[in-house]
Amino acid sequence: MSNSDVNISRRSFVEKSATAAAALTIAPGMFLHTVAEAKPADQAVTSAVRWGMLIDTAKCASGCTACVSACNTENGIASHGRPRTDQQWIRKVTLRDKQTKHEISLPMLCQHCETPPCVDVCPTGASFKRDDGIVLVDRHICIGCRYCMMACPYKARSFAHETVDNTVDYQPRGKGTVESCTMCVHRVDEGGTPACVEACSEAEHGAMIFGDIKDPDSEISKELIKHGGKQIRADLGLNTGVRYRGI
Amino acid sequence: MQQLKKRMHNTLITIAGLVVLTTSAFAFAGEKPSFAPKVPHPENGTTECVEPEDEMKKNHMNYILHQRDKTMHEGIRTKTYSLKECINCHVPENSEARFGDDKHFCSSCHNFTGVSIDCFQCHMDRPMEGKATKGKNPHGAEATPTAIKATISKYLADTSKTVQDTKDAGNE
Repeated sequence: MSNSDVNISRRSFVEKSATAAAALTIAPGMFLHTVAEAKPADQAVTSAVRWGMLIDTAKCASGCTACVSACNTENGIASHGRPRTDQQWIRKVTLRDKQTKHEISLPMLCQHCETPPCVDVCPTGASFKRDDGIVLVDRHICIGCRYCMMACPYKARSFAHETVDNTVDYQPRGKGTVESCTMCVHRVDEGGTPACVEACSEAEHGAMIFGDIKDPDSEISKELIKHGGKQIRADLGLNTGVRYRGI
Repeated sequence: MQQLKKRMHNTLITIAGLVVLTTSAFAFAGEKPSFAPKVPHPENGTTECVEPEDEMKKNHMNYILHQRDKTMHEGIRTKTYSLKECINCHVPENSEARFGDDKHFCSSCHNFTGVSIDCFQCHMDRPMEGKATKGKNPHGAEATPTAIKATISKYLADTSKTVQDTKDAGNE
């Protein structure tokens, strides 16, 4: 594709976004917001958006694993009964303050870093970041070296050790490759919300918010501006797309 | 001498046998004698693919490969050249045939030509429940994105040029 093609689609994208933003100011609401996020199927993702997540640990119930099961169902991840090597895209973590004995519970998943270490170390270019900030593994070119798993400070990636026989058509997975949270990219590209976020709000916890952190009018941005959102291991300077409150 | 006569006799019989065999094979195969496997049209009644049949036979892998990268890296999810849609149309819902069986659309030819592919080590070789294409010529309504088409044509042109160049270089 030539440069001019890219510019045309980018311009039309910006125009459409502007229209959507105008509609938003007239009548702000969930539905209009969703319309603004949806992208035509033939247009490439752009860096005009950056998908992110905000997780409120105060709302995250300890013992609840709705997000984990939703993720497994959505992406066809099944246990082989070997927890140490089973694939895991999202997991629940409990943090306990040694002094105060205060416990908090939070879901841990790929943090979709702006400067992802997994991408830095990948020898084939299989680990990459999309323009809209979603970090993915292109399993077509992944050689299964697992270097990215070593580099990830969040232990977010898993390796498929065994033949996968329950794949779904929108999320092909296979033996010998590394995989991790895709932020339900197949849903996001169609204007949807990740399965975990949906499950969390269905379980009436509402601890997870998903949205465009570059759009100042999005729910997530408003929350971030108002209350802030911490990065886990902020010292690494990775500028994560997944932020936490209450840690 | 006697031995030579006997050998000639045997050869003649073999040739005659071969002639009979091949003619009968041609007669059964119809007008176009072909030893290639018959690749069936989809069961949903679709008779036209997204590109002419000859083009698809020769270049389907390039269309799919190009779409693969576009989808994976740029999030372009048009249906025309997507592997998922090939399967949704060409493999009937609840099909018992798996990739590798001669009855499976892809393996009906890939088995014959001995070209092994690893698409289905990850991708589904059959439509998901309720996803099989039901109507005829499903892609007729969806215009092929011009930009994608142009890129593929350019890619194909470049590839054949490279092949030609390599051949020329080899001849020198």
